[in-house]
Amino acid sequence: MALAMMEVGETREIKEFHGKEEVKRHLQDLGFVKGERVQVIGENPSGMILLVKGVRIALNRGLASRIMVV
Amino acid sequence: MSYTIALAGNPNCGKTTLFNDLTGSRQRVGNWPGVTVDKKEGTYKKDKGINIMDLPGTYSLSPYSAEEIIARDYIVKEKPDAVIDIVDGTSIERNLYLTLQILETGVPTVIALNMMDEVEARGDKIGAEKLSEIFGVPVVPIVARNGKGILELMAEAVEVAKGKKTPKKLPVFDEKLQGTIDDAKKLLDDAGETDSQWKAIKLLENDENIAGQVTEELKKRVGEVAEKAYGSGADLEAAVADQRYQYIAKVVKDAVKKGTTGHVETKSDKLDKILTNRILALPIFAVVMYLLFACTNSENFLFLGINSPGIWLAGIVESIWGWLTDLVAGLVGGASPWVYSLVVDGIMEGLGAILGFIPLVLVLYILISFLEDCGYMARIAFVLDRIFRRFGLSGRSFIPLLQGFGCSVPAVMATRTLESEKDRKITTILAGFMPCGAKLPIFALFVSTLFVDSNQTLVTYSLYIFSIVVAIIVSLLLNKFVYKDGASNFIMELPQYRIPTLKSILIHGWEKVKGFAVKAGTVIFVSTILIWFLSGFNFDSFNGTNAAESEDGSVMCEMNDSFMASIGNVIAPIFKPLGFGEWRPAVGVVTGWIAKENVVVTFAQLYDEDVTDEYLEEYFAQYSSEELEELGFEDGEYDAEAAGDIYSEGVLFEGGDENALPHMKDDIKTKAAAYAYMVFNLLCMPCFAAVGAMKRELKTWKETGKAVAVQMVTAYVVALLVNVVGGLFL
Repeated sequence: MALAMMEVGETREIKEFHGKEEVKRHLQDLGFVKGERVQVIGENPSGMILLVKGVRIALNRGLASRIMVV
Repeated sequence: MSYTIALAGNPNCGKTTLFNDLTGSRQRVGNWPGVTVDKKEGTYKKDKGINIMDLPGTYSLSPYSAEEIIARDYIVKEKPDAVIDIVDGTSIERNLYLTLQILETGVPTVIALNMMDEVEARGDKIGAEKLSEIFGVPVVPIVARNGKGILELMAEAVEVAKGKKTPKKLPVFDEKLQGTIDDAKKLLDDAGETDSQWKAIKLLENDENIAGQVTEELKKRVGEVAEKAYGSGADLEAAVADQRYQYIAKVVKDAVKKGTTGHVETKSDKLDKILTNRILALPIFAVVMYLLFACTNSENFLFLGINSPGIWLAGIVESIWGWLTDLVAGLVGGASPWVYSLVVDGIMEGLGAILGFIPLVLVLYILISFLEDCGYMARIAFVLDRIFRRFGLSGRSFIPLLQGFGCSVPAVMATRTLESEKDRKITTILAGFMPCGAKLPIFALFVSTLFVDSNQTLVTYSLYIFSIVVAIIVSLLLNKFVYKDGASNFIMELPQYRIPTLKSILIHGWEKVKGFAVKAGTVIFVSTILIWFLSGFNFDSFNGTNAAESEDGSVMCEMNDSFMASIGNVIAPIFKPLGFGEWRPAVGVVTGWIAKENVVVTFAQLYDEDVTDEYLEEYFAQYSSEELEELGFEDGEYDAEAAGDIYSEGVLFEGGDENALPHMKDDIKTKAAAYAYMVFNLLCMPCFAAVGAMKRELKTWKETGKAVAVQMVTAYVVALLVNVVGGLFL
């Protein structure tokens, strides 16, 4: 399912990313790699706040809906 | 022996703090060639032989942003004697990803483990010696904020630089991948390429930048090596990233003892629950913005009836400058009239205009630096992203636009923090629409003379709303017809909330004001002299006619007869459809391009004939002697000489007087035309200083011209609409 569907407090593993190579690379550099566990720690109309490798990352919903998690 | 040591690290890792610690005030800020990324260099304050280079903060050395390309080109091509890699100990896993890539380049490296106080407070333990053993480079725990460990760090860096200690190769990749890398490396070695190990990895990662630097043949053969091992179309890039993170996970397991398992809610998490809350976020943001403006521009600070720090400082600077001007005027009093006029009206007034702005800009910048350094600005950008996205921008565009309320120059400079080029271009244009501090006197003048029987506060506020509405519409149009890149993504690290040190805020704020004052200052300065010349001279100045006719032999003329008046007459017809097609308002527009506050000064000068000595005496007769003293008359006594200045400085504009400039109403007959004039000045090309800043950010005159054209067309069309539509109602 898409990361955008996750609830606050939930933790899941990243499976893949659908989108431009450039964005994918940027996500990788920030720690979004296959198998990495992400936790949703906040949500608001702009998007979601995630915890990845101990760092808070804010994403807009459009991007979060292209990241697949299991 | 002199060494160059480069600082590298993730954004928010404390790199700037360390740089400031190491260099103190010995730093130079410039631009990297061809890009608008700050280049900061300095010398180590304890050893002048050591040059410190602050590389841009990056998450990796991949070639996808200007910052990353600069950082890696510097490390790989310029080869500093040593790199200090700053690692934020509180997010060590993510930070080590960059570390691995730096070590891969083979540059002599020292790792600085920063924020060790916060690591300890969490109950975590990072074994620096263990890490040093694993990576084969020195690892020094530091706390950049209070300078702890910095001497040891620099001692290690110098050692490493002296010994040219290249880091050892690490067992990051599995056998298959390492084998493929070795095969590719061999190909590169055979072709005589330098840094073959590093380039081999980059080529396998599909790094377009490096691929462009080697021959087609070599590229093809490396591709074949990859295909042989992994099959065609394999995503080696992901495999490389994946294995780097796996290796880091192992390292962290060996060297870091976590005080607790899992994520514990930190203070930052708790604050985020409030500050980015879906309901509270916007109201809190509004209060913060109110406080920001109250501190800079308010003459009634927090309703206490006192001036805000910004206005207060500006007042001090102005009075010192006034005193200096008098002093200089006394010194050149004996010189010929045109020299006196050049020095006093041209140079001193021009410099005064810049100096008058610096306190406001400084206060605004210090406060914005505080919001940035404490971590809140990243949250504002995120919270506003949804709203800005609807208008085709990113939440990050907010920061430059906010600064536009103070002054367009720093606003335009702030656009460089935007990632997407489209956002940068649009925001640069929109920043010019904001009601900057210098435009407010124009509104005050018009509202007080031509809107006497209207709700004046409402008229002024409506202009603020106007600027925002126009900005939104123009952004939507530009997105639809000019920059059709589609929506950009929002992805941003939310750093931990930290109380910034006073030193870092002051350095941060001053750095930008200094740049503003020097660069903008030269433009304003030169153009003030130009306007002084155009409005004080005509052809008769140079053939002796003026000198012969005037009482004191001055070659200068009245503004009515000057070059400026001729220019005004030529362009005035253009403004006819907008309702103000006369030469004097046209001159006002032109002088506004030099600096917006000039519009008011110009009006006061051009309509001066209305303000006779008799009129002034009559006007000031309505005030008591205490009031006169308050207005600036010495001992509360009416003084004909001072009256003119005091009158034009503010009495007229604040109080409102419809008979103040009777001729103004002959030129601008209707309220619709008056409103159109204000709107035109609000939206048209900003002052030359801001255009200079736009050129720096947009890089070419062509792009700058395009941006200015958009501003001009917008101003003209909107003012035309105001005059025509408004004419039906007002």
